[in-house]
Amino acid sequence: MQRILNALLQFRNPILYFFLLGLSIAFSFNQSPFHQYTIEKYGFYFSAKIYEIKDGLSHYFNLKKVNQQLLEENKQLKSRELTSPLIPLYPEALEKPKRFPFKVKKANVLKNSFNNQRNFLTLDMGSKQGIQPEMGVISKNGIVGVVHSVTPNYSNVISLLHQDLKINVRTNKSPAFGSLVWSGKDPTKFLIEDVVSNANISVGDTIVTGGMSSYFPLGIPVGKVTKLEKIQGSGYYSIEASLLNDLSQVYYVYILENIDFQELQSLKKKLPQ
Amino acid sequence: MKSFPLVSVVSFVVLVLAQVMVFNHLHVFKTINPIIYLLFFVFYRFESNQTILIALSFLLGFSIDLLSQSGGAHTIATLTIGFIRPFIIRYAFGNTMETPQSYFSDNRILNKLIYLVLLVLLHQLLYFTIVFYSIDALYHIVKNTLLTSIISLILMGITISFYPTKK
Repeated sequence: MQRILNALLQFRNPILYFFLLGLSIAFSFNQSPFHQYTIEKYGFYFSAKIYEIKDGLSHYFNLKKVNQQLLEENKQLKSRELTSPLIPLYPEALEKPKRFPFKVKKANVLKNSFNNQRNFLTLDMGSKQGIQPEMGVISKNGIVGVVHSVTPNYSNVISLLHQDLKINVRTNKSPAFGSLVWSGKDPTKFLIEDVVSNANISVGDTIVTGGMSSYFPLGIPVGKVTKLEKIQGSGYYSIEASLLNDLSQVYYVYILENIDFQELQSLKKKLPQ
Repeated sequence: MKSFPLVSVVSFVVLVLAQVMVFNHLHVFKTINPIIYLLFFVFYRFESNQTILIALSFLLGFSIDLLSQSGGAHTIATLTIGFIRPFIIRYAFGNTMETPQSYFSDNRILNKLIYLVLLVLLHQLLYFTIVFYSIDALYHIVKNTLLTSIISLILMGITISFYPTKK
């Protein structure tokens, strides 16, 4: 017994090291949803508090830049308003009323990461302001991500730069759809999977959201096709795309609340499993 | 056992806050976040308790991971550096010479530089290996390791030069 104790004391450093190493590996590679959620919630609470202080300072220094961006955005909105089919310049557009089941909310970005393989954003709006998980998040140039978890005053968004996030997309010309995924290496390079090879797609086409998920409506511009290849013998395209949005320069975002979310969910539950 | 020095606790807290609040937002060349919290292994005296260091390095990596919401790569990399620090010290400051009591009680610049470079390079290599975790990303691992290490070393060198050395 004495010998065992002596041996344990003598090798206490390696034992401690391998114990803690096992613990951290278990945490990072094999997180159970419960642990993941609880740890994330506490870490998220503290980091949001810290980032709020930092954000107060940095927003002040960014004011000039943000003003420029706002002006630019206003300009674009103005031009869109003028050409909008809702204005009776195009009276025939009003004949078919189209339902748009989304409400738009504005939020500031407190923290934005883009150099991990799984990136998240922190926003300064939470469940008190009506933010719920699984809402889509866009910025002025395209989509940013999907809300992952919320606390009363903050919310956590899965960035588009997250390996496990897939977004339903199509091009502006062809109705064939696929899923947009990040390859995990270069923050500007994205892949589009599952597009059948008889679709009419060419390099330079604009990629827009497909509208087949409850996160985003149809037609929000996402990126451009940069490389197109047919995979031999599979019947699918291999497509590379670049984003219109620079995800490192996102300071404020718009959150899309799907009014029909509950309805869609209940419909999904009725499907035979 | 030597009494636990206050400077370790203070440097721990200050370094974590500095890393999370300032250095995680520098984005040098758009994608590089310099690492400053490794200075903890400089401020922690060479002669102090190794078991406590391993526990502390785990805590250090864990706090960084928690506050920057990364998956656990900081924890594994920092814990490993804490464990192999005696070997790094022995390699950098020599086996036959008497090893100094702390980083600041030594005057040999080359040895100190080797110590810092080994610390940062090994840490970054481990970190990015865990982050990318695939052989396809070898180029990205090496590129990120080298670039981040160089920038971090410059910043750490500047920080150390502000610290008063006892002669």
